[in-house]
Amino acid sequence: MTPFQLEIQLVAIIVAAASALPGTFLVLRGMAMMSDAISHAILPGLVVAFFVTGSLSSPWLMAGGALVGVGTVALVEAIRRTRLVREDAAIGLVFPALFSLGVILIARYAGDVHLDTDAVLLGELALVPFDRWIFHGYDMGPKALYAMGGVLAVSLLFVTLLQKELKLATFDPGLAAALGLRPTLLHYLLMGLVSVTAVAAFDAVGSILVVALMVGPPAAAHLVTDRLDRMILLSVGIGALSAVGGYWLAWALDASIAGSMAAVVGITFLSALLWAPGRGLLAIRRRRRRQRWTFAHKMLTIHLAQHERQPDQPFERHVEHLQDHLHWEKEFADQVVRRAVRAGLITRQGPQLLLTQAGRSLANEAIVAD
Amino acid sequence: MEPAIEVRDLTVAYRERPVLWDIDLTVPSGVLMAIVGPNGAGKTTLIRAMLNLVAPAAGHVRIFGRPYASVKSSVGYVPQRGSVDWDFPANVLDVVLMGLYGKLGWIRRPGKAERALARRALQEVGMDHLVHRQISQLSGGQQQRVFLARALVQDARLYFMDEPLQGVDATTERAIIALLRALRSRQKTVVVVHHDLQTVPAYFDEVLLLNVRRIAGGPVSEVFTRENLRLTYGGRLTFLELPS
Repeated sequence: MTPFQLEIQLVAIIVAAASALPGTFLVLRGMAMMSDAISHAILPGLVVAFFVTGSLSSPWLMAGGALVGVGTVALVEAIRRTRLVREDAAIGLVFPALFSLGVILIARYAGDVHLDTDAVLLGELALVPFDRWIFHGYDMGPKALYAMGGVLAVSLLFVTLLQKELKLATFDPGLAAALGLRPTLLHYLLMGLVSVTAVAAFDAVGSILVVALMVGPPAAAHLVTDRLDRMILLSVGIGALSAVGGYWLAWALDASIAGSMAAVVGITFLSALLWAPGRGLLAIRRRRRRQRWTFAHKMLTIHLAQHERQPDQPFERHVEHLQDHLHWEKEFADQVVRRAVRAGLITRQGPQLLLTQAGRSLANEAIVAD
Repeated sequence: MEPAIEVRDLTVAYRERPVLWDIDLTVPSGVLMAIVGPNGAGKTTLIRAMLNLVAPAAGHVRIFGRPYASVKSSVGYVPQRGSVDWDFPANVLDVVLMGLYGKLGWIRRPGKAERALARRALQEVGMDHLVHRQISQLSGGQQQRVFLARALVQDARLYFMDEPLQGVDATTERAIIALLRALRSRQKTVVVVHHDLQTVPAYFDEVLLLNVRRIAGGPVSEVFTRENLRLTYGGRLTFLELPS
């Protein structure tokens, strides 16, 4: 691995981690689309800050972007509050308008500088090592490393120190307000952090990948864990692994690094969706199947228990009768009987089905519990 | 004795539409009070206004003689169960600990002492065997009891509960009522938004009949009359059987 490759992956990992931290709370608040809105809407802020300072790496760029980002949130909120459109429509109205304003500004006034629309959408991680910070003649490494590292540090502080406040403000903003924990302030701080992260990351990975990194890893982590602190750690881990995996995928396919990273995030989420223990689609299917058999066993034992010691017992407990009484297909009925025998709930005497003690108690429990 | 709550001339409006109109209310200390009224009567809004969560257009609220902000640590709040996302990554203990976030203040995290308090509150609502259960796996009644434990752990003097008996099973309802009575015996004041008129006389000492305006309020035995209920609910009140 060359030093350049190492630097690119390091920046990618930091971008992924810095995005996953605020992203976790966006996902839990049902505001994933806000990351999309903010990462696009910051463009005019960046362009105007660029006109004023004449530089692409000034901290003012970050301030300008952050300001427009928070402004976007406020604007969406204001439009939603008119109750004439819903929040999703308000987001869809605000960010294309701001984004297109940025695109027009670039096309009209900044055609000759390095601020083109391709780079805005996709960024160029491969170029990260060429923009270096030279301090008193020493090469300190890529500038992006420091910008993103700073953002990551702020994010880490934010979600570690204020984790309990963010937790309550996300889960139950009413109680948070009643307890004096300022959920609205936290909301705007979080949105400011999302904006700053998007501004810092957009040069490296562009506005699309930022969205993938903010939403994908937390959404995957949410499927896998039940605790907030673990979800945060897992989001960061999944993001970082996707970043490295994406880099090598791009290397193998000779494709865009940012694009490959986003693809790996997508694949990771799909894997979690399928295989997550408990909540994944396969686990749900397994559970449904199991429930079907458990329910059938209960039906069978309850049916047999109801007719125990009744004069009609020989008729009712006949294996052929299940098809009529419980509306079971013959094949299904045979399967249920076989499984129930194996589970020790019933025994067979020719065509007659007899409850065991275990079967009788299952029936009793089922009737009482339901 | 100083009243727990004093509301004077309270008006709350969403835009031009008044949701609460000129409400006066005095809640004595140490009583169980029900707020009843039809849908859209402003019951939840009244609670939220008393908790300073919505700004009144006019009037004011005093809790133990002072503005809410200076007594908020003495006030517990149980919002409607359906107002939060139960898929949130947290377990029962996490949620109960949230009741202590106000006392902890900013940045400080709950520790051993707080966890012990939370476990004790869960014991009181009969949920101590589910401390580590993921909240999405709770039944409706269990969710409600977790919310009550979260309020109990605040050790407040005054509790606001928004429909705590809505959609819970009979066992949970009995447990909640026993808990409310236990709170009253400890001189706590509990204000409950309630929807089941049949049980008002059995469960509560005081009642506020509300329909945007205050229709009547006071001891249940005095104001919970057929006439007042008709004024509150209009013609929609046909199935109620009152003890005469």
